[in-house]
Amino acid sequence: MTVGVRKLPGIRRVEQIMGLPVVVDVRDDDEAGSVLDHLFDWLRWVDATFSTFKEDSEISRINRGGLHREDAHPDVRQVLERCDRLRDETDGYFDMRAPGGSIDPAGLVKGWAIDRAAAILDDAGLHNYAVSGGGDMRVLGRAIPDLTWRVGIQHPLERHEVAAVVETTDLAIATSGAYARGDHVWNPPSGRAPRGILSVTIVGPELGTADAYATAAFAMGPERAPHWTARLLGYEAMTILADETVFKTGGFPDE
Amino acid sequence: MRKSITVLLAVAALALPIADATAATRGTTKKIVVSKRFAGSAASVDRWGSLQVTIVVRKTTTITGTKKKVTRKITAVSVPTYPNHTDRSIYINQTALPILKAEALRAQSASINMVSGATDSSDAFAQSLQSAILKAKKS
Repeated sequence: MTVGVRKLPGIRRVEQIMGLPVVVDVRDDDEAGSVLDHLFDWLRWVDATFSTFKEDSEISRINRGGLHREDAHPDVRQVLERCDRLRDETDGYFDMRAPGGSIDPAGLVKGWAIDRAAAILDDAGLHNYAVSGGGDMRVLGRAIPDLTWRVGIQHPLERHEVAAVVETTDLAIATSGAYARGDHVWNPPSGRAPRGILSVTIVGPELGTADAYATAAFAMGPERAPHWTARLLGYEAMTILADETVFKTGGFPDE
Repeated sequence: MRKSITVLLAVAALALPIADATAATRGTTKKIVVSKRFAGSAASVDRWGSLQVTIVVRKTTTITGTKKKVTRKITAVSVPTYPNHTDRSIYINQTALPILKAEALRAQSASINMVSGATDSSDAFAQSLQSAILKAKKS
């Protein structure tokens, strides 16, 4: 099949938000520029409200004791409550509480914000798009009318190759890995990055949940992660161990 | 997943006649494939309770003349019992038996639109995205 080098339909925009490049790639032919203005305004609000690097964010004020959780913005309360539930669902491996008692919901905020960004695109009547932040994404519809979205799962050892390809018309995809940004994945019991596991990819309906599950499973390490992911409801997983064994759950949708 | 198994089998089938080319003159090659399920003993997993693993092993016996070669490969891993320490895990244990499939890590240069992976820097991600978009344009 040859489509040839031609202009892609739709509109693409990349902005650095929450310390990550957030990419919105709309493939509908509709005029979507004003929707993207609204979407990126909202993402900047999320950054200003949730960042622990910003002194006047609601999270920083909660951590300083100047704002009670119950008085926070409804979105902040919703995210913090979801973080609490995720801690239970992941047997404590997803934990927004840092040593010392302060909270940082960043592990959920990015995926949650991208889910909401996808909802903004849905509400605008768009049916073909990808929204991605630092390698975690929501995709819907088709990349071009002839082709569904094809998402490569990065090979953890060979940077220019992929370890699997997921072809989809509606999915959230998140990957946590040892080759990540320094040691941002942290194993609560040991306090160190886990050994013996290279990456965990989780796919399912919501990116916030998929991303948190990937973070947790990666922190669990090579013995627990594959079995824990096999029991997730509505989410499928691919775990790559350091000995180059790949564990996929029964419904993992790669080709 | 199904496709990758098919590919592996196809490769094996292609490789066989070459490896057995000299032996083929002395006799025919017979291949017997048997898949069996093996349950491990229930093991205690510290505070999580006990856990029992079942694996499915595919045993391939290749007989060429008087030579016999046996290879075994784990094709599936499942966990029939899981610690019942939360409401959630009890609920999950009552639902369908989950299956884990094991395979070797492969590298492929596929035509893709996006890359999912942990990023080490914004630049790397932006570059990878750019190249994915360029590939999508050409595909």
